[in-house]
Amino acid sequence: MELLGAVLTGAVVAFFLGAALAAVDRRAAYAAAVAGSIGLVVAAVGELVLGPVHGVAWTGPLGEPEALTLDGLSAFFALAAGLVWVATSVYSVYYDDRPTPLLALAYCVTLGSIALLTAASSFLLFLVGWEAMTLGSYGMILQAAGRPPRVFSAAFVFLAFGEGSTLLVVLAVAGLHAAAGTFTILPVAASADLAAFVFLAGLVGFGLKMGIVPFHLTEWLPIAHSSAPSNASAVLSSTLTLAGVYGLFRILSVLPAPPAWWGAVTLSIGALSALLGALFASVSEHTKGLPAYSTIENNGLILVALGVALVARSEDLASLYLFALFAAFYQALAHAVAKTALFLSAGYVEHATRTYDLGAVGGRAKDSAPGAVAAALIAPLSLAAAPPLAGFVSEWMILEALFQSFRFSPPAIEFDGLLAGAAVALAAGLVLVAMVKYIAFSTLWQPSSPGPAERPRGLGTVLGALAVAIVALGVGAPWLLRFLTPAVSAFARTAAVAPVSGLLSIPVGWSIVSGSPFGILSPPAVPVGLAVGALLALGYYALGRRGTSRRVDPWMAGSAPGASGETYSSFGYSAGVRIMFRSVLGTREVRTRRSALAPAGPVPYHVQLEVLDPFRVVYDALRRFGLGTSDSLKEHLMPGILGRYLAYLLAAMLVVIVVVALAI
Amino acid sequence: MTAPSSGRTVRGAARPGARVPAYWAPDGAVALWNDLAAGRSAVESPPASPFPEDVRSAWAVPRFDPRERAVAPRQPVEGYGVFTFPYGPVSMGVPEAGRFDVRTYGERVLELVPRVGYKSRRILASLVGLTPADAGLRVERLAGNFAAAHVSAFLAAAESAAGRAVPSRDAWVRAVAQEVQRIYNHVHVLARLAEAASQNVGLAQAHALAEEMLRVAGATFGHRWMFGALLPGGPVARLGPSDRDRLARTLDRLSEEFESLWEVFQGSRTFVDRIQTTGPVGRDEAEHWGAVGPTLRATGAAWDDRLRVPVVPYDDLFLPVAVESAGDALARLLVRVQEVRSSFLLLEQMLQRWPRAEEAPVDPAPPVGPHRGIGRVESPSGDLVYDVALRDGRVAAVGLRTASDANWPVFAVGMRSQVFTDFHFAWESFGLLFAETDR
Repeated sequence: MELLGAVLTGAVVAFFLGAALAAVDRRAAYAAAVAGSIGLVVAAVGELVLGPVHGVAWTGPLGEPEALTLDGLSAFFALAAGLVWVATSVYSVYYDDRPTPLLALAYCVTLGSIALLTAASSFLLFLVGWEAMTLGSYGMILQAAGRPPRVFSAAFVFLAFGEGSTLLVVLAVAGLHAAAGTFTILPVAASADLAAFVFLAGLVGFGLKMGIVPFHLTEWLPIAHSSAPSNASAVLSSTLTLAGVYGLFRILSVLPAPPAWWGAVTLSIGALSALLGALFASVSEHTKGLPAYSTIENNGLILVALGVALVARSEDLASLYLFALFAAFYQALAHAVAKTALFLSAGYVEHATRTYDLGAVGGRAKDSAPGAVAAALIAPLSLAAAPPLAGFVSEWMILEALFQSFRFSPPAIEFDGLLAGAAVALAAGLVLVAMVKYIAFSTLWQPSSPGPAERPRGLGTVLGALAVAIVALGVGAPWLLRFLTPAVSAFARTAAVAPVSGLLSIPVGWSIVSGSPFGILSPPAVPVGLAVGALLALGYYALGRRGTSRRVDPWMAGSAPGASGETYSSFGYSAGVRIMFRSVLGTREVRTRRSALAPAGPVPYHVQLEVLDPFRVVYDALRRFGLGTSDSLKEHLMPGILGRYLAYLLAAMLVVIVVVALAI
Repeated sequence: MTAPSSGRTVRGAARPGARVPAYWAPDGAVALWNDLAAGRSAVESPPASPFPEDVRSAWAVPRFDPRERAVAPRQPVEGYGVFTFPYGPVSMGVPEAGRFDVRTYGERVLELVPRVGYKSRRILASLVGLTPADAGLRVERLAGNFAAAHVSAFLAAAESAAGRAVPSRDAWVRAVAQEVQRIYNHVHVLARLAEAASQNVGLAQAHALAEEMLRVAGATFGHRWMFGALLPGGPVARLGPSDRDRLARTLDRLSEEFESLWEVFQGSRTFVDRIQTTGPVGRDEAEHWGAVGPTLRATGAAWDDRLRVPVVPYDDLFLPVAVESAGDALARLLVRVQEVRSSFLLLEQMLQRWPRAEEAPVDPAPPVGPHRGIGRVESPSGDLVYDVALRDGRVAAVGLRTASDANWPVFAVGMRSQVFTDFHFAWESFGLLFAETDR
């Protein structure tokens, strides 16, 4: 156990050591990050198998004990983050060819601070890690490839939201300290009002980092708007949001038993985030913006599962409570791995095509190494919940949990569960549109303009490993759920049992069961069924075919294919969604006449179908209001007249005199 | 499509101060008819060459070059994600094969370019050298649905070119045939719309009614599509007194059936919703692009050849002209429904006044040139113009402007900003036939 503690300490130190090494050599920095990530994974696995891991301990500035420790809950998040980072760090060694070491520095700082906040034994240390994580991420976004004004504005908006998040988290921690009298992470007996305050501050504060509605700007903006580096995008999207999830779970794990409305609020926000995230993902044409919006959807799903769990807890539905928790944890894990694979393969494509325009990629991802192609196909499929992949299992669990919302007794909350179920189902459909579009136009599409495809070495291996992990997470779900039981137990503070059982001739332990039993799914049987079906089809094809096959060009109304040089566009694929959801997306068609400089013939119209995020309008209005108010205050209060300032001084002195006189 | 005024050889259009209705502008045919009515020769010079293509260009009838030029008002569109979606040539059971190029950013039609002339059948060219009766056998096969209208117009043109009087009975028989076929075609359009909207009960009834009309045609003219029945030397139409009684009774029954069928459709909210505001065409657009027939009348213009170009027997019959103003697929269908009623009414009048059909022969329209005549009738989809030149009693050249020719651009305009799923409904409501343009 001491060994594992040392490994944990070493892992956290390794990240910061990497940050220092960045000044010397980027590769050394990333190598240190790889070592730290592996250490973190080892420590986390050790915790889940053997029990709590205690690293270095010391006395903090306030005289309280501080330590690096992993309990079940933090071990789960450390495991998910560590797995992701092993991949992103190895990838970064090949990916990062920038002239300055700043990206490597910010990368290592971000990883180290997330590791620190995960392993923190007190909320004080957690806050230190949280703030360092925000600053490190800010540094990574500043290294984006976009045009400088956009990069600066994106980074600034990210930082502003990040600091707002820190402020709310500080408030939540202060509330906990007021109740417990200590920063150490221990269950507190807070009053109902204080607990509600801490919960709401935590929900909004951590939600800001998770990119949930209405703060989804923080998720897509830095990644899509500024075209952040791919390794940074993966870390931001997979593990920065994971840190937010961890924070929320951590706060909830120390608070007393929740009232039902906590769950209802979480459920509603989660469902709305899932729906809007999926909607915007399906209409995104940015190779990184689309996965970024999908992250909003997935974090929404985690919140939905958490919301169901909280309501179930307040209603004493023990079985549903634990099942929903397992669903939330599995969703977090499945999303982290799949999203990393997606971002890294997006980076691969970007490397080869130098474009972020999904329509312009033209299927060039299929020129990559085999592992990268596998990841580019499997990661979106998993996010679209295709069996037998990881996302399929977690989404099934979440829907199963939602199906049981009829067990809730308050009619309003039962109805909330119903609406959330409908929203999640709609989101699942929209995500399918998004991911099919992504796969089709990044990988399967015919290259429209073949060019030299560069093949960075080693990336294929990393991506291939991630693809294998996604399949394994799907097929091996029953065993992994049992492996993750300590995490759920640590959060629920009861001895949880994985919802795993048997069915018919499928051996006991091979199936996931919800309720008692409500629904049942055997992830290992799914690929078997698929394989049997494929074999039958293949056999039928082999036996039934007549020995002739005919190959023809695609039918283009009798003319040569692609004679016009134009093919179906990725924009066209999701235009139906744009038009159908025009009331939500604010879709409008903008027509402009081009100038008469065009060659002979009728002057073409320029048509642009634009969508608008409704929340963006609100933010813009707020921004304008803020700037306008400060401007007018500046003009009226600080007009630059010396006499006015002297009058202020005089008035201030009079006030002080009056106050002091009254006090005496 | 070229500007209407270019290459025009029609004097009426060139005359200062003469106002040519805009909806005839693409072919100038009405000016031609006005001149004819005034007893003037409208054509400054007869066609120099007997080849049909030259005749057509001389008459400023739109020329359609297969595979090269589209019959459509172009409105080029570009923008992010905009691409051309080729649709066809065999699609949704259109009559004959044809292709559309759809400019779109997905789902919404920004520009529609019908590529007519996908097939080249060379039917018009093959008429040269035949007698009008022999040529008629091919003309009526040009577009089988509209056989009566095509043959009537072709024969009228040939008779005008030859200066030969027509037996009054022939003119009446042609009118009966046209009205029977008009009812069939309008019910057929209703059936196609019902099929597109999955109105299966109404679809079956509409098909049954259309079949009844074919049987009426078969019983009266000896051929379900009236092939040969209107040609000189063809089978005599069975319109004796007892036949007329039986026919009148049958039509009476079918008229009632049609009313009850229309009740079904009118009461179907989904059906009406689906075609309302689909494929809208404003009156200005319709007149500018030269719409004809129900397409034109659905925009509020009360033009009908049967009233404006009154020939025997229409000059002696009561015909309420059907007009709607909305210009969408529903308005076009409503016009057709009213025309079914007016056709039943016309048939009833003709059967009652049949003895007048035995009166003196009818003078043909005055020739528009030496051995050259124009024939025009209101086909089910609109104005149909034949321009026939004869030499030694045989066809020397044929020009043709069909209702489909005139309505293609209007369809292309009406489909702008519609979504893909509107296509079928808009298409059927215009009653366009590729067969009429692929000749």
